[in-house]
Parts: sequence; C-alpha cells; structure tokens
Amino acid sequence: MIEVKNISQSYSRQSDNETLSDINITVRENTITALVGANGAGKSTLLSVMTNLLPAKSGQVMLDGVDVRKIKTSEIAKKVAFLKQTHHLSIRITIKDLVEYGRFPHCGGRLKDADKEKVAEAITYMNLEDLVDKYLDEISGGQRQRAFIAMILAQDTPYIFLDEPLNNLDIKYSVEMMKIVGKLVSDLGKTVVVVLHDINFAAAYAGHIIAMKDGKVYKEGAPLDVITPEVLDPVFDHNFHITKHDGRPICLYYDHSMKHIHNHGDHVHMHEHPHEDSDVPHAHQKEVRSEIN
Amino acid sequence: MSLLRRQWKRITILVAFVILTLLSLEVGSMADVSLSSFIHGDELSRFIFIHSRLPRTLAVILAAAGLSVAGLIMQSISRNKFMSPTTAGTTDAAALGLLISFVFLGHTSGYVQAVFSFVFALVGTLLFTAVINRLKIREVVYIPLLGLMYGGVIAAISTALSFQTETQTVLNQFNLGTFARLGNFELVYVVVIPLIISVAYATKFSIIGLGADFAKNLGLNYNRVVGLGLIIIALISASTFVAVGPLPFIGLIIPNMTTSIFGDNLKRSIIDLMLFGACFVLFCDIASRLMIFPFEMNISVTISVVGGVIFMIYLLRGMYGGKKTRSAAAKSRG
Repeated sequence: MIEVKNISQSYSRQSDNETLSDINITVRENTITALVGANGAGKSTLLSVMTNLLPAKSGQVMLDGVDVRKIKTSEIAKKVAFLKQTHHLSIRITIKDLVEYGRFPHCGGRLKDADKEKVAEAITYMNLEDLVDKYLDEISGGQRQRAFIAMILAQDTPYIFLDEPLNNLDIKYSVEMMKIVGKLVSDLGKTVVVVLHDINFAAAYAGHIIAMKDGKVYKEGAPLDVITPEVLDPVFDHNFHITKHDGRPICLYYDHSMKHIHNHGDHVHMHEHPHEDSDVPHAHQKEVRSEIN
Repeated sequence: MSLLRRQWKRITILVAFVILTLLSLEVGSMADVSLSSFIHGDELSRFIFIHSRLPRTLAVILAAAGLSVAGLIMQSISRNKFMSPTTAGTTDAAALGLLISFVFLGHTSGYVQAVFSFVFALVGTLLFTAVINRLKIREVVYIPLLGLMYGGVIAAISTALSFQTETQTVLNQFNLGTFARLGNFELVYVVVIPLIISVAYATKFSIIGLGADFAKNLGLNYNRVVGLGLIIIALISASTFVAVGPLPFIGLIIPNMTTSIFGDNLKRSIIDLMLFGACFVLFCDIASRLMIFPFEMNISVTISVVGGVIFMIYLLRGMYGGKKTRSAAAKSRG
C-alpha cells in the first residue's frame, strides 16, 4: 500500500522539477491510476517523489506502512518499478540484456535459474521472443516500449509507475501499450500509476483519475467524476466538451469546430434512442433472434 | 546464429591478439634475439627477453586494455560516446600532477609520482564532470570539444609552470608516450587492480549508462558507482601516464569500435574490449618500431596519426551523418 501524506516540494535547483503543495493521496490497489494535468502541474515530480527518486522535503510517502526514505533503494526496487521516458539511448544493448537488468534488484547482476525463468516469462508475455537478440536501436518505438515493460515485469514488483509511456508512440502502439497496462492489472494483479498526456486515454483505461493543477490535487475520483467540464476546464485552462461512448467519457477539445461537434454529438445521441429511429433495426433484431432460436 | 557470429568475432580477436603479442616479442633492435633463441636458452636472449621485451609487451597490453576500459566507463557515466580521458582533461591533469611532483620533490619514485598524477587526474575529471552537468549541454559532440579546450587550459598551466621552474625538457619528456622508457614500467602493473574491479562491476557500469533514474529504479546506488568509476578512470590514467606517457585517443576510439561490434553490455564485452585495445596498440607499437628500424618512432605519433583519423570520422559522423546520435539528440530536445 502506498500512501502520500502532506507532501510539499518547493522549487529545487534542478530546473525540471515543479513544486508540489500539500498532497494527500492513497494509491488504489489493483487499479490503473492516471495522473493528468497541464504541463508543469507537478505530475512527474509527484511520481518521482512517490518512488523516492526525489526524496520528499516535507511530508511522507509510506510504502506498506514504512516511510520510503527509511527503506534502502535496493529494497524499494523490489516493490516499486518506475519507468521514465528514456529519450537518449546511445547505449547498444540487446532486448535480452535490458530485460535481464530488470532482475538486478533481486540478483545483483548474477542471474540464477529462477531469474532466468522470470526473464524468459517476461519476454514471452510481451511477445518479444523473436527480437531478444536485437539491439534497442534496431527496433521500432513500440517494440522498444514493450521491451522496457518486459524489463519492469522481470523486476517483478507489485507497484508500477509509468511516466508518459505513450510519448513518441503512434495511435496503434499507444492503444497496444494501454491494453498491455490494463492486462498487467487484470491478469497479474499489479497496481499501476501512470502519467498520461492524452486525457482520453486516461478516460478510456484508468480506473481512477487524479487531476492536478499548480502542484495540487484538484480533483480525484472515477473517470465519470473527473472527466467533466467543471473539473477539466480549470485544470487545463481550456473549454472542454464531454460526450460518452460505451459508458466512458470522451473529451472533445478542438476549439474551432466546437459548434460542428455539438451537432454531430446530437446526431449520435439520436441513434442511442431506438424509439426515435425507424423500425428497421427492430425488425432486423427480431430476425436475428429467430435465427438463433 | 548471432551467438555463433559473436563467437567468431571473439575468436578472430583472440587469434589476432596472440599473433601480435608474439610479433611484439619478436621485434627489437637486436635482430638476432628471437623467440626461438630464447627457447633454446641463449643467455643474452634470456636477459633481453626478461628485462626488455616481455615488460614492454606487457606494458603495451596493460596500458591499452586499461585505457580502453577507462574510456568505456567514462562514456557510460557521461552517456556520451565522445568522452575519454583525452577529451575530458584527465590526461592533462595527470601530466600537471606529475610535473608538480617533479618540481617540488625532484626525482622521486614512480609511486609517489603516480599518487600525484592520480590525485590531479581525479580532481581534474571531477571538476570537468561537475561543470558539464551544470551546463546541461544537449548536443553531445560539444562536450568532448569543451573537454579538449579544458585539457588545453590545464596543459597551458603545466607549460607556464615548467617555464617558471625551467623544467620544459622534463615536461616534454612526460608528454611523449613511449614504451622505450624503462624507468617506471612496473607502475603499469597497477592497472590490473582497477581492471579486476571493473570486470566485477561491469553490469553496474552498463546500467549507469542508461541514466540516473534508470539506475535508481533498479536500486543501484548511483553516486557510489559513478564515484567508483571516476576513481578507476583516474587510477588507470595516472598509472599509465607515469609509466608510458600519454596514449591519445585509445580511450575514445577503442570503446566506440568495440561497442559497434560487440554491443554495450559490458559484462559480456569487457574482455573483448581489452583484447581489441591491446591489439590496436600492439599493432601501432610494432609499426612504430619497424618503420625506421633499428630506431623507433614515438608511439604517441603513430597512435595520434591513426587514432586522430578515426576520431575525426566518428566526430563528423556524430555531427552530420550519424543517424543514431542525431535522432537521439533531436528526441531529447523535443
């Protein structure tokens, strides 16, 4: 269990860290929690503080009831995995090398049979068997991201923190990545906290959303409670229009064609009420039913 | 498949290494002293082998292997393929330390000189790394260029000091890399210690190369490993410098050439790296001994010519053609 208590983080010398003030959250187990917010809202900083990459200045982060600052880094690494965007890859290692590094917290670089098994499992789970001997700079962005997730899997931690895992991925790979993250939660029982830039990915895949603004938690809750104009307009300083698809909220935020989208939205709405529509779908439905019978 | 190719590459390097080692033992100004006369138990041959040829070949191998490893660790720590003891002021700082020990203590034992060199190399490198980290330069090729300038400044201080104390000839002597100077050869054996440590820490140095956050995520004590790396670099640079003088570019081009063949997983490639470095320097050493036989050229000259050309190729590729460095830099900006 991870609890964040009264975390405040003032501006530090490293320029890419934003401030945080008075943050209190409890990470929900076995769920995807998405952190959303404008640039500079403090999402990444909060993630760094929660994983103790950036030690908290005031307040506490409790990991299973113990202050993370009092736990050895090597012990934290067995419970919490944190994947930051790795832009700069000048190093030439193979996928297998990378996944094996994931076992480092457990074996310190000397892999035993059990470690090798975990590595093989992670590689199979992420469908990377054919690529194990490829160098990281020889594969596509989506494959590379999968390789990093495989490494995290080999690290075998109950908690997984991902900082903008969809950066540099196109739509196909973004969806694939979020599906994988979903499977980590549903199949493997992991707890995932993820910073997402695209609010719709958060709306579609997260079980819990934390909206941040100016270093504070503005609102947290289920997607339907957070993805509302009342919350998002101030958080992103922008006008949102929210619609629904399959019971999940979807944000429309393209300013210039808001009117057009409005009309379109109404049109879709009409289809959702069969009694307003023609009889044809009903007839069709009956036909299908009789065939089944 | 790739495993088989790997093995072949490794065998090729090993064979080349054995051949070059034997050749290195065979070549010398006394032409009638050879391996066969040594095996036949000729008294003079034995003397020359034990006191000249063998130490020289060993020194070449150890200095080359050491500097290659130092270069790779430096590149891993800085995550910059253009870093090396030559391009971060380490070598120049070692020279300054050596000169200072000479100015204040006169002729002392090689070990005292090495301690001075080591301290200066360590401080010099630390200073440069600290400044570079603060500047946050995105374009990777600027860092070694800055490093060369920084080295130039340190070298200028050495020159000024030698003018003041009228020790220019001593400084010139220091700055000539040569395996023909027998004086402090045994110092090069010190390199064995950092080499063993770096083999033991190979995986940790590779992980460091993936970034501080990445290393911390895996529970690695980042600062401690970086600190150890810098000590290893300074120890290798200082002891090779005092023993044989500067061998420019080795720490830069050998790791680059090796990792493009064997990859960056140090645990697997560190032995290949040492062997490859040794082959390169053995080759340059033999060439400089044969070119104007029975005299010999200075090894710094040979290495500078060959290594300089290779360095230029890498630098230009990094600036213009290099797909990888280029796109990586572009991404880190965006």
